[in-house]
Amino acid sequence: MNRAKLKRLIQDFYLVFVLIFLYAPILTMMVLSFNTSKSRTDWGGFTLDWYVQMFQSSTIMDALYNTLLIAFIAALVSTVLGTVAAIGINSMGRLPKTITMGVNNIPMLNSEIVTGISLMLAFLAFGISLGFKTILLSHITFCIPYVILSVMPRLKQTSRYTYEAAMDLGAGPVQAFFLVVLPDIMPGVLSGFLLAFTMSLDDFIITHFTRGAGINTLSTLIYSEVRRGIKPSMYALSTVIFLTVLALLLITNFSPEGQEVSRGLPPTEAEKAKKRRLETARKALLTAASFCVILAVSFTTYRHFAAARSNELYVYNWGEYIDETVIEEFEKETGIDVVYDLFETNEEMYPVIEAGGVAYDAVCPSDYMIQKMIENDLLAEIDFENIPNIDQIDPEYLERSKAFDPENKYSVPYTWGTVGILYNDKLVEELGAKPPESWLDLWDEKFAGEILMQDSVRDAFMCALKPLGYSLNSTNPEELRQARDLLIAQKPLVQAYVIDQVRDKMLGGEAAVGVIYSGEMLYLQELAEGKDFQLEYVIPKEGTNLWIDSWVIPKNARNKENAEKWINFLCRPDIALRNFEYITYATPNRGAFDLLDEELKQNKALFPDWDSLENAEVYQYLGDEADSLYNELWKEVKSK
Amino acid sequence: MAHPLIDLVHISKAYDGATVLDDLSLSVKENTFVTLLGPSGCGKTTTLRIIGGFERPDAGTVIFDGQDITSLPPNKRQLNTVFQKYALFTHMTIAENIAFGLKIKNKPKSYIDDKIKYALKLVNLDGFENRSVASLSGGQQQRIAIARAIVNEPRVLLLDEPLGALDLKLRQDMQYELIRLKNELGITFIYVTHDQEEALTMSDTIVVMNQGYIQQMGSPEQIYNEPENAFVADFIGESNIVPGVMLRDELVEIFGAKFPCVDKGFGVNRPVDVVIRPEDIDLVEPEKGTLTGVCTHLIFKGVHYEMEVTTPDGFEWLVHSTDLCPVGKTVGIHVDPFDIQIMNKPESEDEEAVGVNE
Repeated sequence: MNRAKLKRLIQDFYLVFVLIFLYAPILTMMVLSFNTSKSRTDWGGFTLDWYVQMFQSSTIMDALYNTLLIAFIAALVSTVLGTVAAIGINSMGRLPKTITMGVNNIPMLNSEIVTGISLMLAFLAFGISLGFKTILLSHITFCIPYVILSVMPRLKQTSRYTYEAAMDLGAGPVQAFFLVVLPDIMPGVLSGFLLAFTMSLDDFIITHFTRGAGINTLSTLIYSEVRRGIKPSMYALSTVIFLTVLALLLITNFSPEGQEVSRGLPPTEAEKAKKRRLETARKALLTAASFCVILAVSFTTYRHFAAARSNELYVYNWGEYIDETVIEEFEKETGIDVVYDLFETNEEMYPVIEAGGVAYDAVCPSDYMIQKMIENDLLAEIDFENIPNIDQIDPEYLERSKAFDPENKYSVPYTWGTVGILYNDKLVEELGAKPPESWLDLWDEKFAGEILMQDSVRDAFMCALKPLGYSLNSTNPEELRQARDLLIAQKPLVQAYVIDQVRDKMLGGEAAVGVIYSGEMLYLQELAEGKDFQLEYVIPKEGTNLWIDSWVIPKNARNKENAEKWINFLCRPDIALRNFEYITYATPNRGAFDLLDEELKQNKALFPDWDSLENAEVYQYLGDEADSLYNELWKEVKSK
Repeated sequence: MAHPLIDLVHISKAYDGATVLDDLSLSVKENTFVTLLGPSGCGKTTTLRIIGGFERPDAGTVIFDGQDITSLPPNKRQLNTVFQKYALFTHMTIAENIAFGLKIKNKPKSYIDDKIKYALKLVNLDGFENRSVASLSGGQQQRIAIARAIVNEPRVLLLDEPLGALDLKLRQDMQYELIRLKNELGITFIYVTHDQEEALTMSDTIVVMNQGYIQQMGSPEQIYNEPENAFVADFIGESNIVPGVMLRDELVEIFGAKFPCVDKGFGVNRPVDVVIRPEDIDLVEPEKGTLTGVCTHLIFKGVHYEMEVTTPDGFEWLVHSTDLCPVGKTVGIHVDPFDIQIMNKPESEDEEAVGVNE
């Protein structure tokens, strides 16, 4: 092989390498969106179910409606404003023009998070409540510079003499603009519109900061769904978004300049024909794109208004934490319109409730966070007269709830679970170890490189505090330091500190033992069927964390009675059963439990005997000081 | 005698503090071909744009057919412009381009169609109605721009360096085309160019401008043969401009040699500038010449030879002649009295020419 060929080969290889690097992640997602299995590692066959599910989900469709409507209006308004601005800027003198263009470019270079936060602050400062209109205003704001940037070059190309020529031939300024200037800069204006549409469609950060209650765009929706593991319908949705954005970009860049034939030589017939074809194709594409945009907007508008009602309930819940048909049924039965909003972590939810910019009626935080909210006087007492179904909740859980809600006045348990050790029976045997039964088994050197720990501070310290015989709510610095030393000692044996991947890695047989939430078990065992190993869950004998997520009503709720109706509805055994089947986290509802198959009732991972929970504790809010001590010590563990 | 159609009265204009036109007055008669000639930045285009209504003068008035139109917008003026870069509407066909002005004025369709046909015929582009602008050559686009302007039957056609973007051959063809059009239409043309040859070929009247002032105004022959100052002499054609002393009427001394001439009234022993065109210098035997020098350069130009003859004082005379004088040969310089043009020395560089020839 000669040198030139080799060089060529290396070049090609490099190009392919770069392309794979760029597109492999997206391709992976696309492939997974057609995967029958929910696992990220197993291929279970081809299916379109996730796409069907996506189109049937009212949450996703609502988010789609918001996204499209906002993108459309924002693009339209910013195109008009941007075009007018560009014309103004173009006619300025050189210095003011340079300065103005600089000012125009800053928002584009500015970090989005700064833009997002400052917009949010501005809205709050002027007393504008966050919601649809604030997202729209923000999107218009950040789209304008892009429109200006795409119209400007076209304007520069357009000789100012064409405008003067039109005036010269008798047209007034307005006529001259619409008859001559606008058609001339139209390609720039159209691509500005599509660019703005794409940018708005795509935006997450700014939307995240400026959105209010019950408003989600696709990007914020996907973000809030991340917490409990992304459902494959989200892959389907992401695939659709990617393809849409790709299509828009292609159209935007599709040969907008057709007129650059040299002036001296008349073009040949072939060139002209080619140009005409390109021009026609471009026009057809633009028309098709605009048509699709309008169709999508009107379709979702129809859906939206077909469902609109006035009696409202604002719900703030974890992503993937309810069977959506339950919401629909509640709306049908009560005539209350549910505005459903999602959060990803307790820490994200808390400041939203504390700020009170959005008045939620029903929220579903975790134990320690409920305690913090009670201490900070953010919750309203629930009127249990309105919740007769409270009888259905096993008194044992109400008893446990007293750890964070001492008088059972503020919260109604919704789901619960434990943290335990998941192990691969085959691998454990191969390593010559016995099945784990104590937290200390995670310090067994036989498991070197086979241990997965939770990458979250309280869970990690729990694993060390419990075997030391201390409370998992310990705030004693000495006890915590001992736990830290224990964790550092364990570090050489740990394969990784992870959150979601415990599930996938264990399924793939990559590790022998891992710390995991019991809620994942039902789902995991389903997927592990047919493998040559079993995944077993054990609650260590020293005790563990028993966590409870409960419904509460914030003090500033506007529809407290509706919230109580909602909580009562969720306590109905048939409804609780449906939610259990969807979420697969253990239900505290006795009525629902009684309706379960015998096999599930016996599932000790989901519904352990109370005896085994003797030493289990509920996380409590430890105060800011203890919080930072925990974080500091955890940092020391991670950095060693 | 035709009466003045356009009168510019004491026009001044400045951009960002830089004066472009300073107290300029100009009168244009009906049915003439007037050319504004000068180097770039001399204010000729600004003058045209003020007439067209695209610029407002800072001071002074524009009179059109006896009426003050200083603040009238372009669309209300009875004149049309042919722009430097044609400024055709690229998203329209040729016919739509030409029809633009008529459609704005709501003329009936049959009238518009007739006018399009007539205008295309006039510019020798029959049958181009449905072509696109991009499919035309530069010269064709130029003619469409003219057709688009003249269908509106303006009384004055303003042309801003319309041939500037064309190549030499095309430019010459278009010059004849423009003269023919002007004669057929019988309207006033105001033409801006920096090309002196173009101006000399086409104009009835040339207005030479520099640094916002009119330097000289007159027929092409007057401008060429009797430049009133060094700027005009230098800008129009090539010339030898040498310092001299007017000894008395009809006798001027150049580099110590006495040349008889026909100019009078400059006084006695007065320093002047002397203009001698290169083609007016006769190279003769050394002993017959008024001055002698050595030929130092020789270039063949086709029609004639271009030579440089250096006289002992160091001045290099530019000479055009069909007779060849080899480099190194000593020759005599002779000039006929009526080929010598005497000018007053300017007091400052941008001095305004005194008086304007009618």
